[in-house]
Amino acid sequence: MSMEPYNDAVRRRFENPRHAGDPDARYPAAVIAEVSESDAGCRVRLAAEMDGNEIHRLRFRVFGCPHLIAAAEELCSRFQGKAPQALQDVPVAQLMELLEVPVEKTGRMLLLEDAAHSLARAILAGC
Amino acid sequence: MNDKPTPHPVYLDDAATTRLDPLVADVMCACLSEGGTFANPASIHIAGRASHALVERARRQVADLLHTIPRTLIFTSGATESDNLAIAGAAHFRAYRGRHLITMPTEHKAVADCFAALERQGFEVSWLDPDRDGLLAASVLEAAIRKDTQLVSVMHVNNETGVIQDLHAIGECCRRHGVLFHCDAAQSAGKLPIDLSELPVDLLSLTAHKFYGPQGIGALYVADRPECHIQPLMHGGGQERRLRPGTLAVHQIAGFGAAAAIARERQSADLAHVRRLNERLWSGIKAVPGIARNGTRAHTFPGILNVSVTGIEGESLMLALSPLCVASGSACNSQSGESSYVLRALGLDDRLAQSAIRFSFGRFTQESEIDFAIARYIAAVSHLRGIMPALTA
Repeated sequence: MSMEPYNDAVRRRFENPRHAGDPDARYPAAVIAEVSESDAGCRVRLAAEMDGNEIHRLRFRVFGCPHLIAAAEELCSRFQGKAPQALQDVPVAQLMELLEVPVEKTGRMLLLEDAAHSLARAILAGC
Repeated sequence: MNDKPTPHPVYLDDAATTRLDPLVADVMCACLSEGGTFANPASIHIAGRASHALVERARRQVADLLHTIPRTLIFTSGATESDNLAIAGAAHFRAYRGRHLITMPTEHKAVADCFAALERQGFEVSWLDPDRDGLLAASVLEAAIRKDTQLVSVMHVNNETGVIQDLHAIGECCRRHGVLFHCDAAQSAGKLPIDLSELPVDLLSLTAHKFYGPQGIGALYVADRPECHIQPLMHGGGQERRLRPGTLAVHQIAGFGAAAAIARERQSADLAHVRRLNERLWSGIKAVPGIARNGTRAHTFPGILNVSVTGIEGESLMLALSPLCVASGSACNSQSGESSYVLRALGLDDRLAQSAIRFSFGRFTQESEIDFAIARYIAAVSHLRGIMPALTA
């Protein structure tokens, strides 16, 4: 078993989070969802730049550990170009396996899932 | 498997442990090499007597560092054992007189957990909060001492913030009330002047690896007064005045003695060096928005600089700082993921305490390493500010 707390997949996304930040001002119809939890003080904000009924780009901001940041980055890259309904089916187990997320951080991954669900609801409510 | 080369670490974690002084390593290697001094110092044959002489020489060297006499020093495995021996040993020996003890929540786990264990055994412990600077006022201690109080334990230099307690005032207060005073000096011994011929301290713990000596060896000072007697925790041979039985580790003790002798000689120069490094580091990072020093600047050991920054999560900050070797909260606590209990006791909220980074440096730290730390810290905070939401609440 590795003594390294973060694998390469986490490090790459942590060091170069291409989707971190706020939605582009050119997309005034951007939809934002934010969730937080009090135990570890984590916070996830997802924003969707919409192109018609399609997600043009997802952006994120995360107050949390490297695993959560890497998971948010991966989620944003996976749902680009998809319909908003797809956000209701976040592959949490796959993300945890890819990023080798320790089991005690499962709650943080579920927070990310909650944010995705919340974003999907907000987008669909506005359609 | 990760085949990327590991980046060269830049070590600024001297409060966790210091690197071994090469001169100390030479002394230890001489013991361990062919023809070295290896025999059991308790043996009365010629090889044993040579070991005994080396042990007593080291005891003298440590005693000289602390301005005490050699027979007041008991060799142990380190400060944790010394703390346990002092606190549990004194509490149990004096239990027939009373079962009230006093300490602070900002103590190292080696002390705090020992008191917690004594609480479970029926002792009553008063945990005195520090002021916002991390200091304990003698008047607060005075008010907490009762007729049945037997022991007060307050550390000299805090391992997270570097805050220096006023041992003289605390010790005088204890003496006035006939209460034993134990001090965990793991962070100060060998680094700050400690004169036990002047200080009203009854029991004092120290360890070699915090001042360029080997890990696994420390000492407990037990004042040469009948009322300072303590009860041993272990039973076996009659070594170390029957307070700490077991065969003495000659090479460790010889290294400890050598480290003490070097520290005595270099203390002023080392102190001036870390003071310069501290100023350089703080000057380099103090302009980072939202940064604050933790602990009073006026009463802080300059080998430690503890800073917090708003809006940044601690675990991510640690990764972003790599390959800088620093501590997040207490080194001994860094696996738990909890924010530092010491910083929370100083009034920091959970998030701010979690963002705390302890830089600690010493004799072998170079200015170029401080400059690397400055650049790395500024870049890490900037990187994370691009990821983390601005705090609105």
